[in-house]
Amino acid sequence: MTDTPAPRIEAVSPLREAWQQFLRNKPAVAGLVLLVAIVAFVLYGRYFVDADPYRIVWAPLSAPGANEAVPLGTDFLGRDMLVLLLKGGAPTIAVGLSAALLTVIIGISVGALAGYFGGWIDDLLMRFTEFFQVLPALLFAMVLVTLFAPSLVTISFAIGIVSWPATARLTRAEFLRIRELEYVTAARSIGAGNQRIIWKVILPNALPPLIVSAALTVGVAILFEAGLSFLGLGDPNTISWGLMIGQNRSFLLEAWWPVAIPGMAIFLTVFAVSLVGDGLNDAFNPKLRSR
Amino acid sequence: MGLSSYILRRLFYGLILMLGVVVLNFFLIHAAPGDAAEVIAGEMGGTTEEMMAQIRAHYGLDQPLLWQLWLYLKQVAVLDLGTSYHFNRPVTELIAQRIWPTVLLAMSAQLVAMLIGVVMGVLASRKPQGAFSGFVSVFSTVGYAAPVFWTGLMLVILFAATIPIFPVEGMVSARFRGSGLAYALNVAHHLVLPATTLGILFLAQYARLSRTAMIEVLGADYIRTARAKGLGEGKVTFRHALRNAVLPILTVAGLQFGNLISGALLVETVFNWPGMGRLAFDSVLRRDYPTLLGVLFCASAVVVIANLVTDLSYRFADPRIRTGGR
Amino acid sequence: MNPLMSLQDLRVEFDTRHGRVTALSGVSLDVMPGETLGIVGESGCGKSITALAMMGLIPNPPGHLTEGTITFDGEDITRAPARRMRQLRGGEIAMIFQEPMTSLNPVFTVGDQIAESILLHQDISRAEADKQVVELLETVGIPEPAARARTYPHQLSGGMRQRVMIAMAISCRPKLLIADEPTTALDVTVQAQIFDLMRDIQQKFGVAIVLITHDMGAIAEMTDRVAVMYAGRVIEQGLSDQILDDPLHPYTRGLIGCIPVLGRAAASADRLPPLAEIPGVVPPLHLLGKGCAFADRCALADDRCRADRPLLSAAGHGHPVACHHAGVPA
Repeated sequence: MTDTPAPRIEAVSPLREAWQQFLRNKPAVAGLVLLVAIVAFVLYGRYFVDADPYRIVWAPLSAPGANEAVPLGTDFLGRDMLVLLLKGGAPTIAVGLSAALLTVIIGISVGALAGYFGGWIDDLLMRFTEFFQVLPALLFAMVLVTLFAPSLVTISFAIGIVSWPATARLTRAEFLRIRELEYVTAARSIGAGNQRIIWKVILPNALPPLIVSAALTVGVAILFEAGLSFLGLGDPNTISWGLMIGQNRSFLLEAWWPVAIPGMAIFLTVFAVSLVGDGLNDAFNPKLRSR
Repeated sequence: MGLSSYILRRLFYGLILMLGVVVLNFFLIHAAPGDAAEVIAGEMGGTTEEMMAQIRAHYGLDQPLLWQLWLYLKQVAVLDLGTSYHFNRPVTELIAQRIWPTVLLAMSAQLVAMLIGVVMGVLASRKPQGAFSGFVSVFSTVGYAAPVFWTGLMLVILFAATIPIFPVEGMVSARFRGSGLAYALNVAHHLVLPATTLGILFLAQYARLSRTAMIEVLGADYIRTARAKGLGEGKVTFRHALRNAVLPILTVAGLQFGNLISGALLVETVFNWPGMGRLAFDSVLRRDYPTLLGVLFCASAVVVIANLVTDLSYRFADPRIRTGGR
Repeated sequence: MNPLMSLQDLRVEFDTRHGRVTALSGVSLDVMPGETLGIVGESGCGKSITALAMMGLIPNPPGHLTEGTITFDGEDITRAPARRMRQLRGGEIAMIFQEPMTSLNPVFTVGDQIAESILLHQDISRAEADKQVVELLETVGIPEPAARARTYPHQLSGGMRQRVMIAMAISCRPKLLIADEPTTALDVTVQAQIFDLMRDIQQKFGVAIVLITHDMGAIAEMTDRVAVMYAGRVIEQGLSDQILDDPLHPYTRGLIGCIPVLGRAAASADRLPPLAEIPGVVPPLHLLGKGCAFADRCALADDRCRADRPLLSAAGHGHPVACHHAGVPA
């Protein structure tokens, strides 16, 4: 009764309104700033510290700060941790993004078809989705990567193939809800075809929760890539944060930093992505705002 | 629908899913680059021509593809998952040894995470704007963002050197020869760190989920009715609200088992826990495909069974499903 | 005779995004034993908050009872300890709600939910309580009460559920029954049945009823006295017949114009009198100025109305009303 807003006649598009809401959310903005900083570090860091990451520069396992030439110390081979950290971010983030993109594409396609058409198509696709949810994702991805030789492409595909069911279920639920709404009936009554209704009428209205889930999927995919590289299933030709942890873990009790620092980098990246995802979620859910 | 016919139907459905996993395994072997016999033998198995011929005959690799699938299905039906050429033992035997440690680890992590997570969520929901509620939100984001293997390694650093009160490796002490209760205690002592590591990841999710579910349920009309009856806040929260908030929590728990096994896999590698994850990791290093695919099959079976149990408990918890209503 | 429940100058405020707003202001009401008092008004006028205040259930935060007193049966319960309020709630003061579909807990049987209330307020055994449950369900007109007690809410229709709510409410023989829009969510025929049931219950147990509604038809049918609320204040009150025959406040007139003629008119649409309508909506509470809250929607409003809020007064009229132009035909 007290939540009737002041009457305002001002055209604000929902996306713009969500964005304004997002900017009012301090943790979300902090997450966005952190994320931009990490991406900038990974993309442009090499302009400041340009060096061959494989070059041995100092005594192995030198502690951070022990020598000003290697501010973050060295790894088990004596390579510069800072340079490794710079070079190791790109594959992690690239795989995270492309795997998330693939996840979203498969998930939305399956979910949209199931939710829109219903009936036996829905049954079939949902059984298919359940089947993929039964397979433990990391194990299945390990099998795929092992069988098809690890590379950035196979890893992205493996992660995408094992992660889509959650997105599919969400998309389906949204489609089931929206397809019953009046404007869909209206679109159908003016002769819009299935293709048009799915992609032009329903999908744009289902986007808010899907955008949130896509943001969170990036975080999951990054963790996934890190896990695979940690197990030694990353692309053998690139350095990645997960690989750094995997390679240095045998020396864990002698030197914590070659394990702790890349792990912290992964953590901060996923943390930033989650904050942004949560912020988007709040921004798209006006009902939660007053809470 | 009666309970027994429901269970039968779910069991049948579970079998279909497992059949799907077998077919998937079969096609994975054949889709992989290279000769299927080589894939089966594994690249590091030290195979001879004689062994290759044996494999070809055993799997009927010169026969049509569908016939091969039939042969493969027949083998799996009698629980023959092939032979590990690295360990030189039947895969079924290898997995039988390794499955219980994984189930023990996954289930203890799940139980602890659910119990503590629900308690945290309930406490947070009583004051949605309070400090503890904020802590739960931050904690759940942190717990979710930290790579589970890294959390494990950080705990190893902490407990191996700084506070050496929990073992950081293995499932029983190396020279331990006891049995019965002493053995169980020894295992439990070793279980603390791996289960905590895996638990933190899921604790974060359960705490956040129960907080949301409880806040939603506490706003329901029947909660107002319960208060109007004169019930105290304790009974309103635990008897009326939690009983309803448990339903979405159970649903998510059911969807978590696959992730739980995936997490267990990484945690086993960190703590040298002798489970299926460790076995999968070793078979990856040795390109021991029969073992790897066998682990995939058995881990999926664990998920199917866990889902069945979740479905049953959900049915028990929600009368609307039990009595066939909305 | 002393009033059973008495509100004196009640003021309730809520913290919202727009700052602290006043949800109730200067509300004074008396409920006499055994009578039916109607509280009528549109959504957002404060009638449900008044009911929650009587129950001591104003959610805090964000709600605050800042002024006034609430007396029940001679006892000041304005700041009564939580324990005392819990004894009263469900025991002496019971409430039924608008949404029978969602007001019962879906995971317990209806019998359990009624028994819970009985066991909370009476010192009897579970078996004894179960016996009472069956009797109560019979009292509220539920067929096969023993079997129904074992069903879950989703297995009952809306009307049945509201009967269960009534059974629960009267389980401890309350002196006061607060019914917040008890029939709004129900079909018209079921509405009439529920009202019949409430009248029966009142005769049988002598319970006083506070009926909260936006429907003048229900007021005409059920109540002895009525209070009309608008924007958190009582703007007119008196005997129901008086108010229905001779409404003084333009808002009350508007509400009465909104009564559809029940029964005979529903059948033949051409004989339906045109539905009158009050233009506009109740203003948001944070936008209330110092004048009469109804001024923006009132045909009679002048500068005085916009500058100076009229007080509730019976001077010059048959019953209390808060309007500078009371009784002037629109």
